[in-house]
Amino acid sequence: MSGWESVLTSGIVLGSLYALMASGLTLVWSTLGIFNFMHGVLMTVGAYLAWQFAVDRGFGLGLGLGIVLAVVCLVALGCLVEILLIRPFYGRKDLVQVTVMTTLAGLTFLENSTLLIWGPRLKQLPPVVEGQFRLLGLTMSNQEALIVLLSPLILLALWVFLRFTRVGNAIRAVGQNRESAQLMGLNVQALFMTTFALATVLAGLAGVLLGSIRFITPTLGSDPLTKALIVSIFGGLGSVGGSIGAAYVVGMLEATSVFAFGLYWTPSILFVVMIVVLIFRPNGLFGRQS
Amino acid sequence: MSAAPPILETHQLTGGYGKVQVLRGISIAVGEGERVGLFGPNGHGKTTLLKTISGLMRPWGGSIRFRGQAIERSSPGVIVGLGLIHVPQGNTLFPELTVQETLELGAFTPRVRANKAQNLERAFALFPRLAERRRQLCKTLSGGERQMVSISVGLMCEPRLLILDEPTLGLAPKVKDELCEAIGVISGGGVSLLLVEQDIEFLLALTDRLFMVDHGEVTREVRSETGLDHAQIMDLYFGVEARQ
Amino acid sequence: MRLRWAVGAVLLLLLVPLAVDNSYVRHLFILAFIYAVLASNWDFSQGYGGIFNFGHLSFFGLGAYSSGILIKQLEWNPWLALLVSGAVPVLAALLVGLPVVRLKGIYVVLVTFAFGQLCLQLILSQAGLTGGSQGLVSIEGLWLGDYALSADGKLGYYYVGLGLLALSTLYLRWLVRSDFGLSVQALRDQEEYAAARGISLPHTRLLTLMASSLFTGIAGGFYAIYLGVVSPDVFSFAITSTVLGMLLLGGLATIYGPILAAFIITFGSEVLVSLGPVRFLIIAGLTILVLRLLPGGLYSVLELFQSRPGRSVPTRQGRPE
Repeated sequence: MSGWESVLTSGIVLGSLYALMASGLTLVWSTLGIFNFMHGVLMTVGAYLAWQFAVDRGFGLGLGLGIVLAVVCLVALGCLVEILLIRPFYGRKDLVQVTVMTTLAGLTFLENSTLLIWGPRLKQLPPVVEGQFRLLGLTMSNQEALIVLLSPLILLALWVFLRFTRVGNAIRAVGQNRESAQLMGLNVQALFMTTFALATVLAGLAGVLLGSIRFITPTLGSDPLTKALIVSIFGGLGSVGGSIGAAYVVGMLEATSVFAFGLYWTPSILFVVMIVVLIFRPNGLFGRQS
Repeated sequence: MSAAPPILETHQLTGGYGKVQVLRGISIAVGEGERVGLFGPNGHGKTTLLKTISGLMRPWGGSIRFRGQAIERSSPGVIVGLGLIHVPQGNTLFPELTVQETLELGAFTPRVRANKAQNLERAFALFPRLAERRRQLCKTLSGGERQMVSISVGLMCEPRLLILDEPTLGLAPKVKDELCEAIGVISGGGVSLLLVEQDIEFLLALTDRLFMVDHGEVTREVRSETGLDHAQIMDLYFGVEARQ
Repeated sequence: MRLRWAVGAVLLLLLVPLAVDNSYVRHLFILAFIYAVLASNWDFSQGYGGIFNFGHLSFFGLGAYSSGILIKQLEWNPWLALLVSGAVPVLAALLVGLPVVRLKGIYVVLVTFAFGQLCLQLILSQAGLTGGSQGLVSIEGLWLGDYALSADGKLGYYYVGLGLLALSTLYLRWLVRSDFGLSVQALRDQEEYAAARGISLPHTRLLTLMASSLFTGIAGGFYAIYLGVVSPDVFSFAITSTVLGMLLLGGLATIYGPILAAFIITFGSEVLVSLGPVRFLIIAGLTILVLRLLPGGLYSVLELFQSRPGRSVPTRQGRPE
C-alpha cells in the first residue's frame, strides 16, 4: 500500500509542475503558432533569477521580493526573445520550422549564458515552508504540498485572465483568427509579445517551484521541457485546458511507471506511449483537427 | 460624381500577392453617406482591393485617402481607429469565443471603448437573435447568424465607412432579406457603405452607384438610379465573359 | 557546373595530406567529412523532402552504437561492422517513419524528437550491451592487412573519410535527380497536386527518411570506429543544433551548401574552442543572424556570383516560389 501512496503523491506533484510548464507552451502555440523550444531554459533562468535575488550568496533580498523581481526580469526577457527571435519571421510560410531553429539557438544561447553567469555549481532555493504533513494516508513535504496547491491557483489565475479580461479575450481571438482580429483594430504584435511574456513568466514560476525541491543547474529545464512536450502531444497542443488535464495524466503515468517498471524504463515507456497515441490520434489525445 | 467630398478615395492603386499583380491602378471614390457597390467576376481583385484599403495588405503604388488623411501606409489598427471598418468575406470569426465576447472585442479601439454598452444594445436591437445567443460559442451559430455577428462587430467600432465583402455568401433568401434590411438601417443612420456582392438584387437594393472591377481595373461606373436593372447587369457580366 | 567544382574540391582534398602532416589538422578534416555526410543527408529529408526530422542525429547515434556493439561485444570485423552500421538506421527510419508520415508540421518535429530521446533512453537502460552512460571504449580500429589506418598521422582514416563523403555525395546527387527524388520534391512543393498525380505521400515520405538514414548511419559507424569510443553524447542536443546550424548556414536543398558549411563550422568552432561556453553563444547568435539575413544560406550567395542572366536564383529555402 505504501508504494501506491508514494506513486499518488509524486504523480500529483509532477502533474502540477508539468501543468504549469505545458500551459505556457500551449498558450504560445495556440496564439503565435510556434513551438517554443526555449520554454525549458526560460524555466531554468527563472529559477536562477529568483535564487540570485533571494539568497544571501546572491543579493539577499529574501524569497518573496526575489520572486517578484525575477518575474519582472522574466517579462522583460520574454519580450526581448519575442522581438529578436520570433517577430522577424511572422510573415514567412515556413514560420514553424524557422522558429524551431531560432528558439533552439536561443536555448543554446541561454543555457550557456547561465553556465557562464552562475557556473556549474549546484544551487537550491530555500523552501517556503519546512516540514511535512499527512493527509488521507499520503505523506508529502510541505513544500511539495505548496506546489500542488500553488500550481492550480496560478493556472486558475491564467484561466480567469484569458476568459474574463479584455486583453485575455483579445489573446484568444488573435490565436483563433488573426485577420479578423486585425480588422477589429487589435494590435496583433503587442498581443503576441504579451502572450510570449506571459508564457515566459509561467515557465519561470515553474522553475522557481522546481528549484526548491531539486538542484538548479543550467540544464534544469531540459527534462521538464521534454515532459511538457509529451503533455502537449497528449493534450493536442491546441487548448490550454486540454494540456492541463493531460499534465496530470502524464504525471500519474510517470509515477506509476517508475513504481512498476523502474526509473530507467520510465522515459522509454512515456515516449512509446506518446508515439502510439500519435499513430492513432494524429492531433493528440484530446486534440481536434486543426 | 457625388456632391459631398469623398470619405474614401483611392488613386491609381496597385497591389497583389508576392509577385502576382492583382490591382492594376484602381481609382474609386465613396462620398460621405454614399452607398457604393463593387461587382465583377470572382478572382479579379475585389477582395484584394478591400484588403489593401483596410491595411491588411500593403499597396505597391498609388494612394488611399480616408476623410482626407493618407492611410496607404497605416496599420489595420490605426485604420479601424479612424472609423473605416472592413467586415471580411466568409467570416469564420472566433470559433471558441462567445457572441458577447466577440462583440465586446469589437470595441477594442480606444475611441469607442467608452460606448461599449450602448453599442452592444444597439447591435442587439438590430439583430435580436444575437441577444438570445449571446452566451453561445460562435462555432455553434448558423451562417446567417455569423454574418450578423460580423456586421455587429463592425458596428461596435462605430464605423464611418462600413466595407462588407459578400455578406450573403451561401445564405438562404430569407436570411438575405433580413440582412438587407439591417444594412439599410445602418446606412440610413449616416454610415457610408462599400459593398461587394454577387447577388445583384441585393446590390441594387442597397447601393446608389456601382463600379465594375475586371482584371484588376475599374472598367465601368454606373449609377443605380439611372434605371439600371438586373438584366443590364447580367449583360455586363456576360460581356465580361465573352471577352475572356 | 557544380560537378566541376565538386570534382576540383575532391582532387584538392586528395592532395591535402601531402601538404598537411599535422595529425590534429587531419583529425579536423576527418570530423568535417563526417559532419558533411551527416548534414548533406539531413538536407535530403529536410531540404528536398520538407520533412522536419528532428531525430536525424539518432540515425547517426544508432549507426555509431551498431558498429560499437558489433565490434566490441560480438567481435565482428570492423569493416563489416561499418557496412552493417548503415542498415540499422534504415530499419529505425522505417520504424519512426510509420507514425511520422501521417503527421504534419510541428507533430513531425515532436515525434522525431521523441524518437531520438527514446533511442537515448533505451541505450542508457541497456548498460550491459551499450555501456550505459559510460558508453563503449577502446573499439577496435580499421586495418588494411597489417596497416593500421591510424598510422602515419591518421592517413588511412583521412582517405576513408574522404571516400565516404564522395560516395555519399554521389549517392545524394543521383537520388535527387532520380524519378524518386523528383517526386520527393514535388510532394514538398505541391502536396495535393503531386498526390493527385499518383505520388503516394506516406510511401514517398517513408522512403525519403530511409534514404537519408543510410549514409548517416555509416558515418556514425565510422565515427565510432575512428574515435574508438561511443557515448550517449552522440544523441545530445548540442550535436543536433550544430549540424542543424550547418544545414542552415549552407542552405537547404543544395547538398553542397551543407557540406561547405560543415567544413566552415568544424574548423571555425575549433578556432573558438579556447573561448569555452562563449563559443556556443557565438554560434547561436550567428545561426539567428543567418536565418534573418541569409534565408537561402551561403549557397545562395555563391549562386549569385555565378548566375548568368536568365538563370533563376533559388529564393528563400532554396526553393523557387
